[in-house]
Amino acid sequence: MEHKSFEVMTGNKACAWGVKLSRVQVASIYPVTPQTTIGEYIAEFIANGELKCELVNAEGELATQAIVKAASRVGARTFVCTSGPGQLYMHHPMHGTSSGRLPVVMATVHRGNKGMQPDHTDLMSQLWTGWIQWYCENNQEVLDSVIMAYRTAEDKRVRLPIAIGYDGYILSYTSEPVEIPDQASVDEFLPPYEPIPNILPDKWAEAQRGRGAGMMEGFMSGGGDPQAAWRIHHEAILNSKEVIKEVNEEFGKRFGRKYGNGLVEEYRTDDAEAVVVAMGTIASTARVAIDRMRSEGKPVGLVKLKTFVPFPTEDFQELGKRVRAIGMIDRNVCLGLGGAGFGELRRALYDLDERPKVLGFYAGLAGAEVRVRDIEKMAEKTLKAARGEKVDPIVEWAKLGGGG
Amino acid sequence: MIEVRLHGRGGQGAVTANEILAEAAYYEGKYAQAIPMYGTERRGAPVTAYLRLDEVRVRERDLVHEPDIVVVLDPAIAQRPAILEGLKEGGLVIANYPHPPELYPLGGNFMVSTVDATAIALETLKRPITNTAILGAFSKVTGLVKVESIEKAILHRFPGPLGEMNVNAVRRAYERTPMPIQARGEVRKDEEGPLSGSGYGLIRSAAGWRTFRPVWDLDKCTGCRICWIFCPDNAIGWAEEKPTVDYRKCKGCGICVNECPTKAIEFKREGI
Repeated sequence: MEHKSFEVMTGNKACAWGVKLSRVQVASIYPVTPQTTIGEYIAEFIANGELKCELVNAEGELATQAIVKAASRVGARTFVCTSGPGQLYMHHPMHGTSSGRLPVVMATVHRGNKGMQPDHTDLMSQLWTGWIQWYCENNQEVLDSVIMAYRTAEDKRVRLPIAIGYDGYILSYTSEPVEIPDQASVDEFLPPYEPIPNILPDKWAEAQRGRGAGMMEGFMSGGGDPQAAWRIHHEAILNSKEVIKEVNEEFGKRFGRKYGNGLVEEYRTDDAEAVVVAMGTIASTARVAIDRMRSEGKPVGLVKLKTFVPFPTEDFQELGKRVRAIGMIDRNVCLGLGGAGFGELRRALYDLDERPKVLGFYAGLAGAEVRVRDIEKMAEKTLKAARGEKVDPIVEWAKLGGGG
Repeated sequence: MIEVRLHGRGGQGAVTANEILAEAAYYEGKYAQAIPMYGTERRGAPVTAYLRLDEVRVRERDLVHEPDIVVVLDPAIAQRPAILEGLKEGGLVIANYPHPPELYPLGGNFMVSTVDATAIALETLKRPITNTAILGAFSKVTGLVKVESIEKAILHRFPGPLGEMNVNAVRRAYERTPMPIQARGEVRKDEEGPLSGSGYGLIRSAAGWRTFRPVWDLDKCTGCRICWIFCPDNAIGWAEEKPTVDYRKCKGCGICVNECPTKAIEFKREGI
């Protein structure tokens, strides 16, 4: 530790450090617990002369998103952050940012939609807005993800906004040592943002076509494809997977740490008969559970799901050929439909000739504490299913607080 | 891995103490994780924080349920058996308590050391913020973190005179804290319910939150009702043109003392 620059900091400060190192030019933030201190740290950096950035106080989250959207369009590197209800209030302009293919980076400090405590329902409520979604398990990953997000979002093959989710309270206010990369290396890794100057009249039509807004042509000639706007946007997100992987690899080479392949990270899945899939901080605690079970000789592993949008379908299809059962831990529920992870995982595996069993667990909603033993129980059940034993029910609300 | 649980009250700085400990431990090459437990805390309400110290990155993201060490920043909370919940057999309690550990009222299979952190805070900081004093005791008793590292972390966070005052508190506590002894007090159950019952309307009595108690000199009181207007907790009533106080509602914030135009209210240290 002593050779590098470390500081003991909260998740929110790690996020603000990511913003500072990325030399963000415009940020707009409206206070909402538990994300508020990000704005305070950024304001402090600006006041100390450490960051040259326009921090715009707005009247609400709808405005903050509209402000960064406009600033991004005219060429600024932009940042916005929110939590829970603020995220919901921001929903409408989020569509505009992504449809405009603007590389805005947003931190979502998770706060559930049924109270103050964390779960992933805030960001999961934005699945249809056309943003890339990442989920983080510790404060270091928060800082690193902000830098990687700008590099990915601004890549001309991508040009999409990225939301970085991390669990409120559990990370936002918890302090731990975080390595601060040096500014020169970040500058080399992340060159200045080169906007596509689509606001100029001669570039407008071309830019709109490039972004998939081909319907204007359709209106004019009667022959355009009114679906093009959706199709091109959808395909752009799917195509971002390769860039996400590439950026993660390069980050690893330069800074000495990376996050799986950028989409998923497999942990002790060698010879595993069963794996659990977890997101955010549950993935961190799950590592301890998997270590304990492995020490007892149980062939279980973990897949940490970092990139939820675009969903790593190919990675799970490949995994599905190796394991007999997968237990998806969802810190969210789409009411009346089910866990978002569970649904996507089953969708991804359906086309395999031989499919593993897919079990679902709801855990950690509304801030419910997920302990090591709780995850062991989920992995035990998944292992049972892998070995052909009947498990019932397939999807359950995990009984938490099991001790240990 | 060493796991620590801290108990205090909003305003005493339990969360800050926890972060300072984490930073101090990090200076010594340890990996630390400092978790505050947030609810709808307010000044005076019981708060809890957790600390993990290890040689490698801590991956557990749950709270600490079976601490090796319990640190209590408040003398009233220090007497509550609830602070011992989950404490490992033979574990350690470091309490802000105005009497020597031989007189500490709780018993069981644990070691205990005490320090009058409130008195030290009043001497050095002129206010009952006990967090830095208790850190001096932590260093002395556990040896887990050097007192120099704690001082460095404090000065990093509070540069200048404020930091120096706090360093002074740490040093005095370090000098005055005795080594722990086997707890000799009474083994009993906690009858007051959970320690961190957060949320408005849940608290039956705020009496235990007070370091100081407002006491009226009715001869000086002119009956102007300024105290009644300013009391944020509706603890002051009115009878026969003079104030009455419901001390269960009074958390000892001192606003009435500050506002009284005739200085008829004295702020007296609560006895333990």
